[in-house]
Amino acid sequence: MTQPALEVEHLSVRYGRVEAVRDVSFSVAEGSLVTLVGANGAGKSTIINAVSGIVRPHGGRVRFRGTDITRTPAHKLVARGLVQVPEGRQILATLTVAENLAMGGWHRGRAAARAIDEMYQRFGVLGERRDLPAGTLSGGEQQMLAIARALVAEPVLLLLDEPSMGLAPLVVNEVFDVVAQIREAGTTVVLVEQNARRALRAADHGYVLRTGEVVRSGPAAELLADDDVVQAYLGTA
Amino acid sequence: MQQLLNGLFIGSIYALFAVGFALVFGILDRLNLAHPAVFAASAFIGIELVTVGGLPFWAALPAVAVVGALLGLIVERVAFRPLKGRADAHFAGLISSIAVAGMLIALLQWRYGAETRRFPADTFPATRFDVLGAQVTLLQVVIVAVCVTLVVGLTWLVARSRLGRGMRAVAENPTAARVLGVDVDRVTATTFAISAALGAVAGALFAMNVNSAQLGMGSAIELKGLAVIVVGGMGSLPGALVGGLLLGVAEVFAVQYLGSAWRDLIAFALLFGILLLRPQGLFGGRRARQV
Repeated sequence: MTQPALEVEHLSVRYGRVEAVRDVSFSVAEGSLVTLVGANGAGKSTIINAVSGIVRPHGGRVRFRGTDITRTPAHKLVARGLVQVPEGRQILATLTVAENLAMGGWHRGRAAARAIDEMYQRFGVLGERRDLPAGTLSGGEQQMLAIARALVAEPVLLLLDEPSMGLAPLVVNEVFDVVAQIREAGTTVVLVEQNARRALRAADHGYVLRTGEVVRSGPAAELLADDDVVQAYLGTA
Repeated sequence: MQQLLNGLFIGSIYALFAVGFALVFGILDRLNLAHPAVFAASAFIGIELVTVGGLPFWAALPAVAVVGALLGLIVERVAFRPLKGRADAHFAGLISSIAVAGMLIALLQWRYGAETRRFPADTFPATRFDVLGAQVTLLQVVIVAVCVTLVVGLTWLVARSRLGRGMRAVAENPTAARVLGVDVDRVTATTFAISAALGAVAGALFAMNVNSAQLGMGSAIELKGLAVIVVGGMGSLPGALVGGLLLGVAEVFAVQYLGSAWRDLIAFALLFGILLLRPQGLFGGRRARQV
């Protein structure tokens, strides 16, 4: 059996006295798309931030391709290929589109130039607006920029935190199309979403979170077909 | 003409000092009040490098910049980094930087005593030129050239280089910068080092220009530096340059036409006048509080 791209074991994260994530374990096979779903406040983003080194875990262990990265700071993980598209996009509004993409290649030096050109080809609107401040883009365009910026870093494992949040339905379709393409290209993806049905339809494997704990997990298709899961955790939408 | 040139010479030193201030302020939203102490320390160190070390002035200046950069790293590590996670990090950092400034000045007093120090008389050739009827010394030309080169170089670095892009990313959103792989602590420390190197060069040039270094020279320029970054537009580098030059010219003209007692009153009144007309500062506007 091949080594998982990501293994999270008994992860717990505290903000002061509040335990945001409790004893969460999951693994992500190389080349797969795994989704963490759950309501707002379930701890999904906290898990992503703990994996990517933005938040320091209180307990547990995180391994990336077999190496313990539990205490590794974020900037070192990006250089190793563990890249996050953060919640709320977090584009750099006063920097131009081109500068945002260049920031995605922070560790890659001149090698990033080709990847940036590829992004202009792939996302035409970014090419057209490369010299404009990123803050002038629409919400959907900003999300595409956030994803493109992460791809410039050439991720081995891409962590996507709520990529469809606040976007119009048509744009959400575009975002999920792009996510599918990324996965088809061989990149391992962890997708965090409130839009649980949509995420589970795209994923191989799913974990349902509630108040900081994994309450259900399994192949995504099985979770979607499980009436108990749908009624209790995914709502009727 | 003579007074205008004199004002531009002293103003370019103010600008160099203020640009260092504005760089840290623009990026980190932190006021580093140890900057004036680095300014003073570098003047004394520059004089020692020339008198004791036997370095020519042109070699002492880069050495002073290196010493200044090291002091900047120490200030960041001691006064700012330990407090960065606090909710009141702005205020706490400001206070702790005052404390570091006090310690630096105490160290200067221990090493150099309280007396005024000077560069040796032959440190710089006393060459003079005639420019449109005004007398200009070679030193003044060098001061303006060094200051303008450093400010323009810094502006290029911030606008065009990879490091500058990283600085602006940290300025806007440190968390996003970390997610993108930027070592925020390193960029922050580098920013302090560059800022302090500029302040250090300004200190050595100032001491050379007035031919004296005193323990209180940093305090004397501190308020001017703050005024310049407010008038220029908080954190704006071009604003700090123009603000510094304006202040220098205003001071010199006030002394010339009204007497030296009027110097600060006229200079600061002019700056307040600019703020009344343009509260965001000369280059503040929409991009206020950015690099």
